This record gives sequence, structure tokens and C-alpha cells, in this order.
Amino acid sequence: MTFASPWFLLGILGIAVPIYLHLYYRKTPVRKDFPSLRLIRLSVEFVARRKKIRNLLLMALRIIAIILVVMALAKPFLGQSASASNSSDTPAAFVVLLDNSMSMGCTHQGISVFNTARARALDILDQMQPGDRATVGLINDPGRLIFPQLTWDQETLKKSISNVPLSMAGTNMASSILPALKLLAPLKTYRRVIYVITDMTESSWQPFIEKYDLAKVEQGIDLVMVPVGDTAPDNMAVTGLEAEAPVIMSGRQVPLKVTLANHSQRSRKARVTISINGERKLEEEVEIEANAVKDTRIMANFNVTGMNQVTAAIQNDAMPFDDQRHLAVRVFEPCRVLLIKPDSLPGQPENREDIFVRFALNPLNRNKDNNFAVESRSAVEARGIDLKNYAVVGLINQRHLEPELIKRLSDYLMAGGNLITFLGNRVEPEWYNKHLIDDLGGAYLLPARIYKRVGNAVSKNVGYQMTDIDIGHPAFSVFARDGSGDPGRAQIFEFFQVRPNPTALLLTRMSHGLPGIVEEKRGRGRSMLVTFSADTSWTNWPVRPTWLPFLHQTLIAMITANELAISSIRPGMPVSATVTGDDAREMLLKQPDGSQLKLAAQTGAQGLVHFTTRDTDQTGYYKILSDAGKRTLSAFAVNPPPEESKLERINLRRIPRFIPLAHEPGRGRSVKEKVSLLRDGYDLSGAALLALLLLAVIESWFANLPTARRIE
Amino acid sequence: MEKTRRLSRFLDPKLLAALSSMEIRARTVVEGMVEGLHKSPFKGFNVEFSEYRQYVPGDPLKDIDWKVYGRTDKFYIKEHEEETNLSGYLVMDTSGSMSYKGQGSMSKIDYASTLAASLAYLMLKQQDSVGLVTFANGLRRMIRPRTGMAHLKAVCNELEATKASEVTNIGASLDLVGQSMKKRGIFILFSDLMDNAEVIIQKLRQLRTRRHEIVLFHVLDRDEISFPFDDTTIFHDLEDESEIVTDAFQLRTEYLRRVKHLMNTFKSALRKSGIDYLIADTSMPLEANLRSFFSRRQAVSAR
Repeated sequence: MTFASPWFLLGILGIAVPIYLHLYYRKTPVRKDFPSLRLIRLSVEFVARRKKIRNLLLMALRIIAIILVVMALAKPFLGQSASASNSSDTPAAFVVLLDNSMSMGCTHQGISVFNTARARALDILDQMQPGDRATVGLINDPGRLIFPQLTWDQETLKKSISNVPLSMAGTNMASSILPALKLLAPLKTYRRVIYVITDMTESSWQPFIEKYDLAKVEQGIDLVMVPVGDTAPDNMAVTGLEAEAPVIMSGRQVPLKVTLANHSQRSRKARVTISINGERKLEEEVEIEANAVKDTRIMANFNVTGMNQVTAAIQNDAMPFDDQRHLAVRVFEPCRVLLIKPDSLPGQPENREDIFVRFALNPLNRNKDNNFAVESRSAVEARGIDLKNYAVVGLINQRHLEPELIKRLSDYLMAGGNLITFLGNRVEPEWYNKHLIDDLGGAYLLPARIYKRVGNAVSKNVGYQMTDIDIGHPAFSVFARDGSGDPGRAQIFEFFQVRPNPTALLLTRMSHGLPGIVEEKRGRGRSMLVTFSADTSWTNWPVRPTWLPFLHQTLIAMITANELAISSIRPGMPVSATVTGDDAREMLLKQPDGSQLKLAAQTGAQGLVHFTTRDTDQTGYYKILSDAGKRTLSAFAVNPPPEESKLERINLRRIPRFIPLAHEPGRGRSVKEKVSLLRDGYDLSGAALLALLLLAVIESWFANLPTARRIE
Repeated sequence: MEKTRRLSRFLDPKLLAALSSMEIRARTVVEGMVEGLHKSPFKGFNVEFSEYRQYVPGDPLKDIDWKVYGRTDKFYIKEHEEETNLSGYLVMDTSGSMSYKGQGSMSKIDYASTLAASLAYLMLKQQDSVGLVTFANGLRRMIRPRTGMAHLKAVCNELEATKASEVTNIGASLDLVGQSMKKRGIFILFSDLMDNAEVIIQKLRQLRTRRHEIVLFHVLDRDEISFPFDDTTIFHDLEDESEIVTDAFQLRTEYLRRVKHLMNTFKSALRKSGIDYLIADTSMPLEANLRSFFSRRQAVSAR
């Protein structure tokens, strides 16, 4: 509290007057004879206490009256804010932070909450006075100050607020409030205020108040909350969309998991529409309980290979921006796998060492409705086969290969093919090292050099197990979850000791530390070496349940490794990727609204090109094009953060230090008046005089309260 | 001049003239002859020995039985059955509080004495016997009931000679009076009752059980009834000389409530026991009080 005329406070000495009167009138009694004091004494005991309290109350009322008179003359000012304690001549330095996160995009009774917030910001800026300095900032994820420094230019600030668009991003309070505090901290000679104009969604404030102790914010800086929107409207949202398949093959049905959230107090129905490449394909009605999230699965069929745009949508409501969600999926042709098995000896039955691999990849041996089409050929039979038609080639326990096949395998691998090699009792390490590594120079086939055999598959005295499994690798990632199996339980009785190449990845080790499975990127392709057999002659893994998922995951990882995959992101998040120099020609980013932006690429080592873009503010389906838009390299979806759909408001009392500055249109003071009051405080002179008048009435009534009847 | 003309300052001729047509009627049957207006349950006229009792100050020395004194060294009075019609006992509270004189012309004791003298005159005039007892902290003086107008002078002299002083102890005093009243009669008490109400009521009831006719004049000054004080006041107690400082204005409501409560307590408790309770407000004319007394007596005797 401050006083415009503090010297009037000396008048407070006037409280001595009622005290003196109180004491004086106690001391002038009249002497009177009375027959007997018997009844008087009894009455006095009864009345004395009441009288004492009454007299003290009267004295207190009179003292308060004098204090009020003095205060009214001294012109007191009262304010909640630290600003109000300063002189009215002190200039202000303030920051207006406008929440433009997606949750502000809802409408309440037909009025856009964001437009209301923008009007509030302009009202606050209108109160800027000569000598004041200010800046404006945006609250979204990540938030920022539009002008990093304070400025005197009121018009520029108002113009910037008028041009602020609604963001589709989430809310990160700290990213704008902390820089604002940092900006104001050194300006101790100013009245410092941060105005936060927000819809106060709990999902955005809760993490902030949990992480930061606002009570520790410098006391000289006022934090003012300007809430907009009255209540949280009912909202339904599509908060998740994903394909529940590691790889999507054309013509195969794939379950799409759609997550729906009902942020309202009653159960509601939603009609989910699935569109693929803009064409409505499927519809399903789903009922969701109040304040609940529900997953629903819809089977979809993709016929177009390459990148596909999937959209899940529900009917529009108060918050339209979260009523649809996008997904970019890459659809592959069914994967053709060539297994080169050992040649059958004349007069002997057909070699079946490939059977466990073939059976795992295509159990029913069907070429339709299966992800993998497997062909088994001997090395002799493979002479005339064009390897480019196969996504993966498997070499199974080969003794020797013809130089021509080795050359074709090398070319195939360098051009982007995938090779997986199983060893066995036919393998001669010296021949493998010489012909598959040394003789090929830089185009070698194997990721490791092969040495001696370890263990004895005949006696099976010792069973080795796989340890140090790299569950981060796509081939083993499926085993990361509990209950999904453990490849380490398989036993390997015999295997080859190998030494991985310097650039190779070691995917597992044997139980005594030697490498078990090794993989290396070769050219544009990948080569994997399994140090034991593909059948049950050296190991029991092929008959254990983890064999099939391992093979499936390995092959999927191989065929998808060369594709540029970008997962769905939130608005404003950066997208970066590395592509080959061939792909990087005239790269463009096609945004959901159809506009195309040129992607700036940086050339790195080995002819690779790296690019990053932050132009992801829109929600929807983005394409990365090369060759001036002729080829689609990849695509990705940008979706709003699910927590923005939850519009439940936080109770202001849970946010420390913030002074509320609420306003209802047409009722009470305007925002401008409230800002002014907050800045200068309340002039209490009028209130003091009013209280004085009221007190005089009370004192008069109380003093004349008929405790006894006056003598007529 | 005034004094010579009057028998006593307590006997106002105008008052007596106004009351001349009035008579004291006993509410119930009393012992006595038809000489008066009172019915008697006894036949014949006897002067015979009744009983011995201990001497109390005020008893005539001639009534002392010297033979008993010779045997026991104690004074005993030999009592005989009264041959008069009605024995009236005027019992006067002479404590300090009775000396209070408010806005009116008489103090409480003067007012009570006038009432008593007037009643004595009327009773003697109709051949009843009248006695007088004064008390404060204990019995002060007792004049045995006698008939004849000559006895009026003794009663009036005693009333004039009595000065109000000391504290009140009504209970103990009534005990002593009761012991000295052997013959049933009318017992007229004049007091401001500045003592424990429960004790007073209890003692009066005891007297009533001895078949005495009891009339109580509650003598109060107008100041005591209306408490017309309005300032911070030091009240001085006329009995024990104590003082109390208080705001009379604030005390008034509570005081009046207590006075009213006290009077209602006496009224209801005594009337239930067949005791006449009359407020003698000293600001009221004596005649009015006496008229109300007589009208009440007449109403009762007509039953």
C-alpha cells in the first residue's frame, strides 16, 4: 500500500481523543444513598462484563473511525502487484505472452477463443504508456519471444499480435515464460509484468508447475494470468493412428489402430472414416465412454505400392483441428526371397537344408496372400536367375560357388540387394575368406572373416547359447517386450569362430564371447552372416518359437532399410534425413496445402546428403520429392499433440504467484481498466470514506443501543 | 401547635377520618369475645392461667412470676388467656435501609410508622388489642398487645422513638417474635425485605402454620421501584455503609428485572400460604394503601 499524501498519517495521533474521552467519563461518578445494594450488586455482576465489552467496542470503533479519516486524507493505494508499490511515475517493462497452441483454436458459443485472446493482448498493449517498454511472445511448443528485446514501438507490437496465426503445436509454458523472466530480470528500475493470455488447459500447466517452482520467481516481477474461454467444451479427438504391421505388402490386409478420445462428461458415439490417398474407404461407428480413450482396429487393404496417405477422421466439434489424424505408410510388393541351397549329390535325395528357412518364411508355400515368396535353388540352378528380382538372397551351407555367381552376388549386394549367409559342415573357411572377401576387394560379400569350428554337433556335449543380443537392431527388436520369446534359450552345438569387419555390427555373441551373428552394410545393400547352420544339424534354434520372428524381422529390416522412413511428428518439429546423392537432386517438400518448398541439402561423406527442415507447422501429409517432384522419396505425417485435445482447465489457485485478471464481456471493469488498476493499484480514499460513514452509523447505533431505558 | 393537637405525628386526623368507617376484620376465626366484631370458637369469658414463658425485654415487670424466679433464678412470665377480641402485632423493620427517603415527603420508616399507627388506632378503637415489635439485626423493642386507646400513646411513642439503623436480619427476628406471640392473632409486618427472600418466606410460613393471620406490607420507595438514576453513580448502602460504583443507566434494566422478579416471588409464594402481601409504595398516598388493605380484608372475610 502506498499513500499519495503520507504526511496526513500524522493525524493518526488523533486516536488519543476517544481514548481520553473513554477514560475521562469513567472518572466522574455521582454519590447516592440507596436502601440496600443487595440487588444492585447482583445486577452489577451481570452487567459489568457486558458493559466492559461494549465500552471497549465503542472505543475500538472510534479508533477505527479516526484511522479511516486519516487514511482517506492520505489517499492510500492498494494493489496485489509489486508494480502497485512503485511510484506512479515509474515506467513499466512488460511481456505479453499469447497462447496460440492448438487448444486455443476451439470455439465457445461461436466465438473463437484465440481471437478473444488476441483482443486481450491488444487491450494490454493499448495501456502501454510513454516510457514503457514491452515485447510479445507466443506460447506453443516450442514457444518464443517474437521480439527478443523490449521495444518502445507500441504499433509494431500490436501489429505482430494481429498477425499471429493459430499454431497446431502443443503448449510448452517454460519455453516462453522463462525467456521472458530472463529478459525482465535486470530491469529493476521498471515495474515488471508478464501477462500470460491462455485458456489454462491443465495438460499444459501441470508439467510446468511440477517442474518449476514459481514461488521462487523474483518478487519484483508480477505474473498476471489473463484467462480466456469460460469453460472447457466437450471435445472428441482422433489421438492416434498407426498400422499394426511391421511391413505392409500390397494386397495384404493390415489392421489400422485408431485411438479415439472422448473428453466430455457423457458417453458419445463417433463415426470413424478411413481415407486412403484421399479416397474414403472405410467407416465404422464407435462408442466411447465419458472421459475415456478407446482403441479401435479397422482392417485396410493397400493396393498401391510406395507411399500412401492414410487419414482417420471423425465428425467436427468445438475443436475441429484434432478431429482427423494422418499417417504415411510405405507399401511394398510381396518380398521375393531366393535361397541357394547345397547341390544335391547324384543319386541322393534332394538337399533339404533350406527347409527351416523356407517353412518359416512361407509355411503354406503359397505365393499369394503371403508376405514372402520363397524360391529354393541350388547353386547350379541359380546360374540363370536374375538376382535383381529378389529382395533377399540366402546362401545356405555352400562349399564353393562359381566365380560368375560370386560376381553377380557382389553386384547385387552393392546395388542394394540383401544377402544372408548360413554356415555349416560344408564350409571351408579358407575358401570363403579368399573368394568371398579377399578376391573381391572393396566389393566383398561377408561381414566377417571365418576361422575354425567351435563345439561338436555330433556329440552335442556342449550347447552354446546366444548372449548380448542387440535388441535395438530391427532383427531382434521384436524380442524386447516381455513374453515375446527369448532367442537366448536356443542351443548351438557347433559354429564357426569369426572376426567381424571393422564396420560390421555384432548382433549376438555366443555364451563364451565369440561372435554369433554379424551384419554389415555393403554398398546400398546389407550382408548378414549367421555362424551356424540354417537347419537343426548344428543348433536347435530352427525348431524353437523365436526362429520364425527372427527371420521375418530380419528380412523386413533388410528390405526397408534402404527406404527413407520418417515417423509421424508434431507440428513445428524438425525433420531431417540422409539420402544418397542420386536421390538428393532437386529435393522438394510438398506441404499439406499443396505448396512446395525447396529443401536445402548439405553434402556429407561417402556422397551422402543431409537435409533438415522446420517447415512443419501445418498438420497433414507431407511428401519429400526428388528430381524436381518427379519421384517421391518419402512421406510423413504431422499431427497435433494428443494432450492438446484435453481442454480441461486448471484451477488458478494451483498456480502460485499468478495474479488473475479475469474479464467477462459486458460485466464489470474492462481489461484495460483492470490492467490499469493492476499497474497503479486501487485508490482506497473513497472506500475509506465510505467505511467511515458506515462506521459512524454503526457507532451511533451501538452507542445508543437500549441497554437500559432512558428516564422519560 | 400541630404536635399538641395530634396524638402523634404519625396519626393524621384527615387520614383517620377517612378511615373511620373501616374496620379490621380477621380473615379467619380468632379467639376472642363478641365484644369486637370477631367470631370466637370459645364459649364464656375466662381469665385463667395459660402457660409460662421466658421473659423477653419489653414484657411488663409485673407479669414476672417471682415464685418461679425464686426457685429457678430465671425470669418467667405467667401468661393468661387474653380476654380481648383480637390481638394485633405490628412488626416494624427498623433497619438502616428503612431510613431511605427518595423524592417523596417521607422516609420508608416514617411511611411504615404512619401506616402502623393508623392501623393501631383503628384496632384499638374497635376494642382490639395491639402490640408493637421493632427489629433490625434482632429484636429491638416489644410492646405487648393491650386494649384501650390509652395504649395507643405507648405505641406511638415507641414508633417515634425508633431510629432506623443496623443491617437487617429478618429471619432471626421473626423467630423471636414468633416465640413471644403465644396467642393467635393478626401479625402485620412492615419491611422492605432487604434480606434473603427464601429465608423470609420460610419464616413467614412457619408463623402461618401457627395459625397467625399475617399481613406483609412491602415498603418500597419509588426510587427502588423505578430506579430513576442515569449516570455513573457511587451507591452508598444505608445498612452496611458499603459503596459501589456503577453506570446506573446501564444497570437499570437488569435492576428493574430483579426487583420485579423479587416482588413476584414474594407475591406468589406468600399468597399461596395465605399471607397477604401488599406493596407499600411510599410515593402513593397512605390512604390508598390502607384502603387497598381494608378492601382486601373485607373481600377475604366475605368468603
